[in-house]
Amino acid sequence: MTMSLMMIRRAMLIAFIVALIAVPWIVPALINKFWVSVIAEIMIWSLFAASVNLLFGYVGLLSFGQALYFGFGMYGVAIGISTLGLSFWPAFGLGIIASVAIAFVAGIFAVRLTWHYFAIITVVFSLIFYFFAVSVKAVTGGDDGINFTLPPTFSFGGYTGSFSNETFQYFFIFAAVAFCFFLMHRVIQSPLGKAFVAIRDNDTRAELIGLNVYQLRLIAFVMSGFLAGVSGALFAFFGRYASASYMFYHVSGEAVVWAIVGGAGTLLGPIVGTTLFIVIREVVSTHWEHHSLIVGVMAILVVILAPTGLVGLWNERLARWSAREKVPATRTSLQSEP
Amino acid sequence: MTESVLLVEGLTKRFGGLTAVNKLNLSITSGRLHAIIGPNGAGKTTFFNLISGLYTADSGRVLFKGRNITGLKPYEISRIGIKRTMQIKSVFPQLSVSENLWVTRNATNGVLHPFRSASSDHATRERVEFTLEQIGLTPLANRAAGTLSYGDVALLEIGMALISDPQLLLLDEPTCGMSPAETARTVDKIKILAQTIDIVIIEHDMEVVFEIADDITVMTQGENLVSGSPAEISGDERVREAYLGRPEDEDYVEEAAHA
Repeated sequence: MTMSLMMIRRAMLIAFIVALIAVPWIVPALINKFWVSVIAEIMIWSLFAASVNLLFGYVGLLSFGQALYFGFGMYGVAIGISTLGLSFWPAFGLGIIASVAIAFVAGIFAVRLTWHYFAIITVVFSLIFYFFAVSVKAVTGGDDGINFTLPPTFSFGGYTGSFSNETFQYFFIFAAVAFCFFLMHRVIQSPLGKAFVAIRDNDTRAELIGLNVYQLRLIAFVMSGFLAGVSGALFAFFGRYASASYMFYHVSGEAVVWAIVGGAGTLLGPIVGTTLFIVIREVVSTHWEHHSLIVGVMAILVVILAPTGLVGLWNERLARWSAREKVPATRTSLQSEP
Repeated sequence: MTESVLLVEGLTKRFGGLTAVNKLNLSITSGRLHAIIGPNGAGKTTFFNLISGLYTADSGRVLFKGRNITGLKPYEISRIGIKRTMQIKSVFPQLSVSENLWVTRNATNGVLHPFRSASSDHATRERVEFTLEQIGLTPLANRAAGTLSYGDVALLEIGMALISDPQLLLLDEPTCGMSPAETARTVDKIKILAQTIDIVIIEHDMEVVFEIADDITVMTQGENLVSGSPAEISGDERVREAYLGRPEDEDYVEEAAHA
């Protein structure tokens, strides 16, 4: 990769982060306050789409059941607060532990399979737990879900904050999501991440060079369950409730579309895809009830015209532009950079 | 008696009604390059798949340096030190050339570090750079492996075998589909490798086989027809039959004579 290419990417990433930090002041001034919480929601769903991307984009396993781990994160928080009377951090922890634990159990069975068999078993798992959650109304609240009031404050060091303060809520979500994306970036660049991509590219060869493919797929599956669990837990705090409807496979499917349209196998692809579709939903749905038609048409167009997703397309353009600038052309590596 | 690095006893693999490998007995002597030849469908690649653990044998056993490796998983066999290449060239197309080597070098580690940046691992970096020099792919280090020419992919495969420090290397038709120049280049590499590593090679090109092999085994219909030195094999009547048909089948002999 050429220096200039790396610098362009760095600069864009920094600009993006600065823009996100400025949101609580700029957005209410330019548009209105409502959009601050939309952006917070986009960040949460981007993290959820990233959990699909980690499995599909980097390990080659297409999961249609990520909503299950999202749901466990949600219910961990909701049950922790409303039933067990936990405070903020223990409830957050319970949500994450619950989703990681169920991802581990489901993963033991699921990662024995690949391709459509894997996709089917992940759907089946999430459906089983969806119907289970709907039927045990006493614990989960069924279709109505569980509403809870947040523990009024939580403290971290000397600082105390509350989700009832919208700016605080926004920054808490921003910090948690940014931290998860940073973790994912580190993993992708590590020897473990390279092994993931090797398995995605050629699993027989990966096994023959000595990689324990089953174990590595299970690790990726649990990591992806962690990302989905964190997003679910954040969404529970954000919405102050948990509902079985978020465990339905429709929710999983949306994340798959977001990740693929944004660019599977790129770190920031899920953010781009999620942002695009949620903005369309928010803008169009107030004027036209069939907004999902636009979503469908766009998804089809992107898959046909830009199989690597929007970020993949952007990376190719950037690489070509940089190659033309510098003569002789410098070779670009197919890094999984943003 | 010389030490045998690989000992195969009564190895059998059936696919439905077809017996691909049939009670195969074979001893590979350490320090000698062993070639396996035989007509198409003789079970040579199946034999490699059995040794490397991609297939499970129906009966029989495989001993590697006296250790029974029958029934182990492919990654376990790989970690013991038995590496192989595939007949159809097989690398990680989206990883760069150096990343292919990198991941192969680290693959046998029990634990892969989840957070440390791969590029901060100096020992591996030096070894990758050394191997790139060895196989002559340094200028292409950052190219995605999927964009390499066929001959370069073959070199990369050999590099991947080299960097994993194998004790036994199984090469499945390494020169298949190569131009004469590429074949010559590959044969040279194999000769150098054979000085330090035990190699078993499946090869169709008889020129290559008789140039590099110390021992030759001829397989037909899943069985070991005969094993011996190149001189013994080239003079063996049964081998001629297996390849060229019976002497009375004059068309075949004539055709072979004119070929």
